[in-house]
Amino acid sequence: MRKLFVFLCILTATTLMLASTSLVFWHYWDGANGKKLEELVERFNKENPDITIKPVFIPGSELLSKIQTATLSGRTPDLAISDIIGIPLLIETGKLVDLMPFINRDNYDVSDFYEQQLVYGRKGNQLYSLPVSTSNLGLFWNKEIFAQAGLDPEVPPKTWEELVEFGKVIKERTGKWGYELFTQGGEGTTWQWQVFLWSTGGEFLDPKSNYTKAVFDSEAGVRALQFWVDLVNKYKISTIAPWGLFGRGEAAMVMDGSWMVQFFPMQVDFELGAAPFPYPNDGHPATNMGGEQIFVFKTTSDKEEAAWKFIKWFTSTPIQVEWDKATGFIPVKASVAADKGYLAYIKNTRRLLLPFVESQKHAHARPPVKQYPQISDIVSKAILNALYGNATPESALHNAAEEVNSLLK
Amino acid sequence: MSKFQGLRGGSTYHPVFRQKFIPTIVFLLPAVVIIGVFNIFPACYSFVLTLFDWNGFSPTKTFVGLENFRTLFQSREVLNSVVVTLIYATAVTFGSMVLSLLVAVNLDRDIRGKLIYRVLYFLPVVTPTVASGIVWKYLFDPINGVVNNVLALFSLKGPAWLSDPKWALISISIVGIWKRLGFGMIIYLAALQGIPKSLYEAARIDGASERILLRYIKIPLLLPTSLFLAITGLIESFQVFDLVYVMTYGGPVDATDVMGFLLYRYGFKYFNLGYASTIAVAMFAILFTLSLIQWKITKGGEAY
Repeated sequence: MRKLFVFLCILTATTLMLASTSLVFWHYWDGANGKKLEELVERFNKENPDITIKPVFIPGSELLSKIQTATLSGRTPDLAISDIIGIPLLIETGKLVDLMPFINRDNYDVSDFYEQQLVYGRKGNQLYSLPVSTSNLGLFWNKEIFAQAGLDPEVPPKTWEELVEFGKVIKERTGKWGYELFTQGGEGTTWQWQVFLWSTGGEFLDPKSNYTKAVFDSEAGVRALQFWVDLVNKYKISTIAPWGLFGRGEAAMVMDGSWMVQFFPMQVDFELGAAPFPYPNDGHPATNMGGEQIFVFKTTSDKEEAAWKFIKWFTSTPIQVEWDKATGFIPVKASVAADKGYLAYIKNTRRLLLPFVESQKHAHARPPVKQYPQISDIVSKAILNALYGNATPESALHNAAEEVNSLLK
Repeated sequence: MSKFQGLRGGSTYHPVFRQKFIPTIVFLLPAVVIIGVFNIFPACYSFVLTLFDWNGFSPTKTFVGLENFRTLFQSREVLNSVVVTLIYATAVTFGSMVLSLLVAVNLDRDIRGKLIYRVLYFLPVVTPTVASGIVWKYLFDPINGVVNNVLALFSLKGPAWLSDPKWALISISIVGIWKRLGFGMIIYLAALQGIPKSLYEAARIDGASERILLRYIKIPLLLPTSLFLAITGLIESFQVFDLVYVMTYGGPVDATDVMGFLLYRYGFKYFNLGYASTIAVAMFAILFTLSLIQWKITKGGEAY
């Protein structure tokens, strides 16, 4: 009898010791990013024997609808990432854990994150997600076309005026397009145009009214859209065509994302440069940002605590430095962007990424509203209507603003 | 019809059905359950959803009554979509019918390598739509595309095809016709074999030319086949989605925003499931009417 008791005691003790909190983590990072994540997670699991994170890859296009069905059936993962645009919808599920109590308890420094990154997870005094990676838009230029046109191949345009001037010289001397616009519609068009809008001092939705009012039809908005129309019709340095002219060497300049620093060198056979995107003489530098944020689903307090421990570790400056170096993502925190080791790495081995890292402080957030995908489509249609000459920039933006306002009501 | 009536001998059920009741049910059950769970239930549920405002994330559905239908009927976007879809469906259905009749009539004769021609014309039917859509997108590229480069050989300047709001729907219809042509050809070929040779012989003795044969014998006798192709073609092409998704994503602006794509946008991009269901119900109503017309014209399917 006593033997049995001892045996049971030992059995319980070992089970308790071996039992670790196991967390399922949904993400959509593939390739080199996915490998780095697995490596980091493995290290975290080793350092924390009481926690086991299990990363599960889900294709990016399916993640949101997969979470949708998971919340409906009550079988959510324990933590996950999502594109920033999906966060407002995810908060709406009511299944996410407010991270603010953890942040306050542990004196976790949120102010180190760029403020614009935090608008997505915030709802009143609550914070539901933290940024883990970001990317932004900048100017790429083809040094060979610049040289052919007699321009200094090392000097990109800094202002809209220079962009037009350089573009005209290129069109005249080489016959190639000066600047490639994204004219295929959808978010690709809208988010590029937003950079032009912000650099003229405009806003997209009014942050003061808690993003319930469209203000992109302001004077600044009309100016930004008129500039696009002029690029095509007046200066004739851009055209309406399927995306890809720059990549094929048929256009000299393009706006594209920081992730292209990895891909362009593999895709193109010319030398290219990258720079912060030009802004008007009387405007401000601006860029748009993408990226992923991490969040925790409501489960048990043990699991939530373990998930928070992982998030704290993953968003810590040393790990973020390592993550950004390996993936080519742009730092989400000021301390990472200022890290000496990180800057030295960028300057020596990924020089093209430097302008993007520096631009991040000028990055604006697209409005964190759940209707954003539909608003984006409405605006991109207005932009294209103006480009095709179906409407003036004023009336196109005005009609779009009315449609958006009725949607936000 | 008679084949199905055989199952029920008059007022009583067929003896096989009576004696082997349990096995019959057991064998039917998997199909009934699968169709019920994955087809019938979701279809009925989407009727329920039309009454709600729900994004699929929020735990609560807001009851809005007939609000979604009111928005639908007042929407210029939906009107545009219906018009675009009707143009596409009509163009593809009748365009492919005319062409497949021409091809079938020519391949019905004894020409060399007619089997190869038949295979070639039928190939697009079995090619996955997404794959052919992507290839056509490259062919239609305004600057580097094969289509415009071939036109340039004849010193013709081709349009911007998929990037031009005036040409985008035409471009997609061309691909739709190309994909459906082979199906029509097979159906017409089969029907042509069914026309008694004696009719041609009699007409030829009377001195009729090939054109007269086509005009006064083949086309009239192919009428039921044409009807079948017209109705099935309209129903099928009304539901087009994949070609648009791959080639234009509904654009430029809304030039190719067919109903299938509109539904997709609202359901899976904007997560407005209530309104997406309302669009689905509207599509159902249109297709149901088409099917009723088919039922009437073919007298309950007895015409062929």
